[in-house]
Amino acid sequence: MLIQAQQLEKIVETSEGPLQILQPINVAINAGETVAIVGASGSGKSTLLSLLAGLDLATSGEVLIDNEKLSELDEEQRAKVRADKVGFIFQQFLLVPSLSALENVMLPAELAGHKGAEKEARELLAKVGLEDRWHHYPNQLSGGEQQRVAIARAFVGQPKILFADEPTGNLDTHTGDKVEQLLFDLNKDYGTTLIMVTHDNQLAEKCQRVLRMEAGELAEATRDVA
Amino acid sequence: MWHKISFRLLKQELKRGELTIMALAIILSVTAVLSLSLFSERLQSGLLERSSEFLAADRVLSSRRDINQDWLEEAQSRDIKTAWRVVFNSMAFANDKLQLIDVKAVSDGYPLRGELRIADTPFVEGEVAKGLPAAGEAWVASSLFQALQIDLGDSIEVGNSAFKVTKVVTYEPDVGFSVFTDSPNVIIPYSQLEQTGLIQPGSRVRYNVLMAGSQDALADYEQWLLPQLNDDTHSWRSIEDGDSPLARSLNRAERFMMLASLLGVVLAATAVAVAAQRYCQRNYDVVAIFKTLGASRQQIRRIFILHLLLLTALSVGIGMILGWLIQSFVIDWVAQQLDAELPAATVKPYLLAAATGIISAVMFTLYPLFRLVAIPPLRVLHRQLVGAQAVRWLQWILSGGTIYGLLVLYSQQWWLSTALFAGGAFAAVLLLGIGRLLINASRKAGMQAGSAWRLAMAGLQRRAAANSVQMLAFSTAIMLLLLVIVLRNDLLADWQRQLPDDAPNYFALNIAEEKVPDLQAMFERENIEATDQYPIVPGRVTYHNGERLLAEVTKEDRDDEEREEGREGFGRELSMTWRDTVPPNNEIVEGSWWGDNAEPQVSVELNAAERLDIQVGDELTFNIGGEEFTVPVTSLREADWSTLQPNFYMVFNTNTLQDFPATYITSFHLDEDRKDELYELFRPFPEASLIDLDAIIDQIREVISQVSLAILFVLVLVIVAGALVLIAQVQASMEERQKELVILRTLGAPGKLLSRSITYEFLVLGGISGLIATIAMDISLLILQTQAFNMDATWHWRLWLVGPLTGAIVVGVLGRLSCSRLIRRNTAQLIRKLA
Ligand SMILES: Nc1ncnc2c1ncn2[C@@H]1O[C@H](COP(=O)(O)OP(=O)(O)O)[C@@H](O)[C@H]1O
Ligand SMILES: [Mg+2]
Repeated sequence: MLIQAQQLEKIVETSEGPLQILQPINVAINAGETVAIVGASGSGKSTLLSLLAGLDLATSGEVLIDNEKLSELDEEQRAKVRADKVGFIFQQFLLVPSLSALENVMLPAELAGHKGAEKEARELLAKVGLEDRWHHYPNQLSGGEQQRVAIARAFVGQPKILFADEPTGNLDTHTGDKVEQLLFDLNKDYGTTLIMVTHDNQLAEKCQRVLRMEAGELAEATRDVA
Repeated sequence: MWHKISFRLLKQELKRGELTIMALAIILSVTAVLSLSLFSERLQSGLLERSSEFLAADRVLSSRRDINQDWLEEAQSRDIKTAWRVVFNSMAFANDKLQLIDVKAVSDGYPLRGELRIADTPFVEGEVAKGLPAAGEAWVASSLFQALQIDLGDSIEVGNSAFKVTKVVTYEPDVGFSVFTDSPNVIIPYSQLEQTGLIQPGSRVRYNVLMAGSQDALADYEQWLLPQLNDDTHSWRSIEDGDSPLARSLNRAERFMMLASLLGVVLAATAVAVAAQRYCQRNYDVVAIFKTLGASRQQIRRIFILHLLLLTALSVGIGMILGWLIQSFVIDWVAQQLDAELPAATVKPYLLAAATGIISAVMFTLYPLFRLVAIPPLRVLHRQLVGAQAVRWLQWILSGGTIYGLLVLYSQQWWLSTALFAGGAFAAVLLLGIGRLLINASRKAGMQAGSAWRLAMAGLQRRAAANSVQMLAFSTAIMLLLLVIVLRNDLLADWQRQLPDDAPNYFALNIAEEKVPDLQAMFERENIEATDQYPIVPGRVTYHNGERLLAEVTKEDRDDEEREEGREGFGRELSMTWRDTVPPNNEIVEGSWWGDNAEPQVSVELNAAERLDIQVGDELTFNIGGEEFTVPVTSLREADWSTLQPNFYMVFNTNTLQDFPATYITSFHLDEDRKDELYELFRPFPEASLIDLDAIIDQIREVISQVSLAILFVLVLVIVAGALVLIAQVQASMEERQKELVILRTLGAPGKLLSRSITYEFLVLGGISGLIATIAMDISLLILQTQAFNMDATWHWRLWLVGPLTGAIVVGVLGRLSCSRLIRRNTAQLIRKLA
């Protein structure tokens, strides 16, 4: 069991009193699985993802990655877990605007202190078809290209888990499809566990499991739901 | 690994121009401080060197008794040049005539600074003397030729000795301004001093040792010497200690330079502060991404601290080079203009400049950096998250402390820094409050206006908090700019007033009463501008409210005079006068002028009154030629000693003094090209003594023109600093506006509407800032002029229009320019930029 959520709850304080974003959630994900989380906008998908990835802390309940309880780690230790085991892809790409494509891809490896970051980054850029664009800055790249750079960056350092939050949400259908294909191809190559939030039913279907989020409650969806 | 990331970020961000403002701000602060302090240090030592001529030395040690020879030898061993100048009154005798003279016995090397000019005929310009009178010879002042009716080659008797007069002294650098007590000077060799037999125990002699050398050597020597001096006997002077017009001008200029530089430093620091804030804000997202990718706090801290330090080092380096270049160009230019060489500077300005850059960069970034590290990774999903809000006052304390520290570092004057800082802090709080109020008011006024206007007002209102801080930056910049400009103008005008082109350049004294009408007629006939003729009656103040005042100031003299009981008085004979009207350039500050009142009474000059604690209503007893009388003090007068007009400590009403024998004094202006007429013009007045002020005036003018140049330079730097603050601030606020702009644009708002509304917003902001700046400026000016510069306070009503208008226009244009860049981009580009 690579990731486990036990009675995971998230409640935030708002001006109108406490708001329960996540009802108690239990889910277990095995190494190598590809999991899609679908659901309406505002249903709590991103919140769940951020808890599973240790970007945020749950109000109650527990997340375990590799049997390590995230609630027992401080922010620094959680950062270490992210550096060692986790990769991210976001809807807004989130590249560092002042660094070139290559430098963006190298970033996680360098932060983790890996040697040979540049070589690895170049290989990954080649895999996403951007080897010629390595010196370009994010604002010189199209949305699809930026997301491909982000994908390359996510795989650097060969993380065990990849979190993707609506990776094609900002792209037109055609580009989205291409980026999607790339993501699954790489995922297969690297045997990474993929946890992906998406609106896109087609994309969800390509995953081994589909989880449905509804008003903060999570349910395993049957295949034919899509 | 992390350092690689720092280097890379730095390199790329520099290349992409994202660090330009921050770098510029640091560069500017370093450049400004370095060039200013290098320049003012060099100029000041240049000025000092120049004005030292008035002492004929850099320092003068003087005493009523002979000076320990060891002290001279010690000075010489430190590479300090020394020369004797022993001065005393005596009588000169020739052609059956007697004349009171000042004997000046000088040794080789005199004058150590400046030059002695001599000629073969009286009252000409003369040429620089190479050497001094030989044994048995004397060089004498022009007026003595008149008084004793001698010619070159004649002998005069002084004490036991006869001296052959071999040259006319036309200019002595150290002649000074005490024209009333001055008798014609006679210069004799120091080696013959004893021979005259005039120096007896108890005779009134002033021994002076002139010294000249490098600043360092003099400072060291001073350390060695001062503890050994006896306060009552010795005095140790430099040119700045004097009360001459020159010393005043110099001190005032120095204070102005210091103040303007301080303001420049504050402005530059403000620019750094604004830029630093922005520098960190734009890195919020980057930090969130880094953290998501697994960066630890420590890594983030290291990456950004190194990044900042690299940026600082680079900027400081560039600033140093630029500062040095600017300064050397300016110095070259100034030197050319003035035909003078300026001495090299010490290492201090370099240290000061580097410290300023580093301190302001690091200190102003500390708080934003602190927040940067605290950015939560979750920001990648929720853009509004900024993490733990550190207490706001921490930032205020840090920034305030930094500015205060810089002030102290730069001025090395606690009280000045504290006063400036306290005033500034008070003004800042006031400004923040007023700014808010005005923004509120302007919104109400703008409700009915067109839609761009309404949009602008709504924007102003929504960002009220951010805007009032922004306005603080705008106001500070505008205010400091106005302040420096106005001060400069006032200072120059004040100097101009002091020394107009037709300023008197001669004093004529010792004019007999019956010759006064003739003299007046001569002035009129010859079209010569002259001041009033003042009668002079020499006398002493002997009692103050019945309490005895001593005739001599020093303790030593008191011992000599059989331990008289009593308080210190003026210590010398005063020149007193009488008048019906208040003397020109004098102002009654207490009591009232007598007008027609014939009751015996006296008006006392303010400084003298303060020194002797004389109040209106006190009784003073005077001794004039052995006759004593007592009169009440009915007014205190402030006299302007910086004009070259006769000034008096004691002025009586006509009735009180007119029966005493008097001689008259006047000062007049004679054009340069009419100088050779002087001898002829004054032939009918052989008893009159003439004192030529041209050389002194020229020198003061020269000093003033040097200082004016310096001030111009400071002004330019301050303007650049101010502009940078404005630009940095506008850019920063533009970034804040970006998001809103994108939304409005996406909703289809026409670009024209947006740019107009932004322009209005900045116009209003600039206008309000300008107004606040003007108010603050006029108040500070009032305080500065009266407290720091001893100038008359003036309101600058014109600025009440210029200030707000300039503020509105400059800020409006800057805002418009930087927003038009944003608006020109299409919406998709903008959205992508935000993503
Ligand atoms: N810090 C927060 N404070 C208040 N409400 C929040 C906060 N975080 C998330 N929410 C709310 O929780 C709900 C779920 O958000 P999110 O997980 O982003 O949804 P999804 O990603 O499924 O669209 C939304 O209604 C959102 O407004
Ligand atoms: Mg979401």
